Amino acid sequence: MTSPASVAPPSLAALRAAAAAAGLTVCASASWPETDADGEVPALAGFIESSFSPLLAEVAARALRSRAQPQGPGNVTAIVMVTALGDVTSAVRVAAAVDAGTRVSPLLFFQSVPNAVAGYLATRWHLTGPVVCVSGTRAGLDVAAALIEDADADEALVVRVDLAVTGGGRDRAAAIVVTGPADRERHRTG
Amino acid sequence: MTDALAVTPAPAARRGAGAVAVTGAAAASAYGRGTEALASGLLSGQPAFAPVQRFDVGARRVHFAATMPGLPELLTEVTRAAAEACDDAGLSSADRARTPLFLAIHGDPAIARAPEADKPGRGPGAFTAAVAAGCGLAEQDVRCYTSACVAASTAIGDAASIIARGHADRVVVAGGYLVECDQFALFDAGRVLADDGQVRPFSAGRRGLLLGDGVGAVVVESLRAARARGAPPLARLAGWGRTGDAYHPVQPHPEGHGMARAVTAALQRAGIAAEDLGYVNAHGSGTGQSDPAETNALRLALGDAAASVPVSSTKSLHGQSLEASGVLELIVTVLAARKGMLPVNAGFLGADDRCRLNLVLGEPLAATPEFAMSLNAAFGGANTALVIGLP
Repeated sequence: MTSPASVAPPSLAALRAAAAAAGLTVCASASWPETDADGEVPALAGFIESSFSPLLAEVAARALRSRAQPQGPGNVTAIVMVTALGDVTSAVRVAAAVDAGTRVSPLLFFQSVPNAVAGYLATRWHLTGPVVCVSGTRAGLDVAAALIEDADADEALVVRVDLAVTGGGRDRAAAIVVTGPADRERHRTG
Repeated sequence: MTDALAVTPAPAARRGAGAVAVTGAAAASAYGRGTEALASGLLSGQPAFAPVQRFDVGARRVHFAATMPGLPELLTEVTRAAAEACDDAGLSSADRARTPLFLAIHGDPAIARAPEADKPGRGPGAFTAAVAAGCGLAEQDVRCYTSACVAASTAIGDAASIIARGHADRVVVAGGYLVECDQFALFDAGRVLADDGQVRPFSAGRRGLLLGDGVGAVVVESLRAARARGAPPLARLAGWGRTGDAYHPVQPHPEGHGMARAVTAALQRAGIAAEDLGYVNAHGSGTGQSDPAETNALRLALGDAAASVPVSSTKSLHGQSLEASGVLELIVTVLAARKGMLPVNAGFLGADDRCRLNLVLGEPLAATPEFAMSLNAAFGGANTALVIGLP
């Protein structure tokens, strides 16, 4: 746990609540912003014009770094992304270019689906479990619980990203790493 | 040669004890609306690609796709398919009201151009709720999957998983993609579209993929619940596997390690051996890197059976329907098995040594596979395998 904040942002609280409802144990968590120092999201090579993928990668990395225990080589981690609206910024950029008849950047093609940043995370952190993206927090945790119950994964990284879509809003994200009920004691004492 | 020892073993695939069936299906594609139109188009062996009329492609490098006539609307088409699948399964209004919907889409097509203030109401969740309301399905517990070309197949695997464990009796899984100007521009910019107007999976001289309209819906149901209401299954949903490559953001693992694990998990869940498979509907995108990776995955997971099992990628006929691919191609696989005719792998020009498989070439192959598999892969190294069995 890296957050010193006394009040969890809504997205992290929602993730934790949904994890509890799904019978899962939260063994690491992180959010964005966590402190006032969280201003600009660090850039992510290969991803342009939108904060969606960099934000997802940053908050996921924070959660993964904060895991208490090193993961064994055979550990299988699923990536479950949750986003209510998706990468709206990229979608708007593409639509604007199409409507104006201007060139569409090939890089926008690669980031047109959330899977690309999941692939970056999977490669960086060697996460070999299923890659899933759904639109609701409860659905995300239900997916994670089913994957763990059926041994498709030992644990799941669940990341929620919400880009600001109205002026003055702020991008927000949260991530948790969850395991099944059987791992609860191990993580409580670990 | 690939090195089987380099593959991380698949985890012991566990599943609930319940048998899972597909009890209803509906589809729409460039071949028309309805599963019979789809089957007849597939068995014609004639690819559905043509110059795009739906929007202006004058500024694009490639001008081809497989589209239905006119300007179909995604919400209308997906709602119609979900309702028709429920009709096909014989679900009563009361049954539908208790059945959740898992929907696979890229998103609400209107969100990018909606006024800022309207965007929050244009999310995929709201779209899914509208589909559920439109066909009388439960408006609680809806899920929307947006994970690219494995979105629908992942949803089907998830539905099978919770049904096998007894957490649900029935789920309607639907998916839809209708060719539109934004994704077309993106794929064109990414230079992955076939500039010769044909998709040629596993073939020498293949030049890429082409987009195609695809809408599909299936009723996934516990065999016990289906029997209790006297509904005959179209097929058993015998096995499912979902994995990640952990190799590259947008490229498949060249040796097919992740997909091989998905295939192995699906076979294990189905309780069958590789030799029991009578047909593979391949992901077969027709791109340079993906087809050899998939070939390697099949060799790794199926061993000697990879050289003999009939394989075709029907993307060569109906095109790539992105998030909907998994459900459309599962329906294709069920239709092929039930009709005893395996669709061709169209567009084939000649053998590529990196893609040596027993491809169905020239004309459909008469065969009655007891078990068949549908494969999908996506950006992010995501892989799925679904195994169906005839009832």
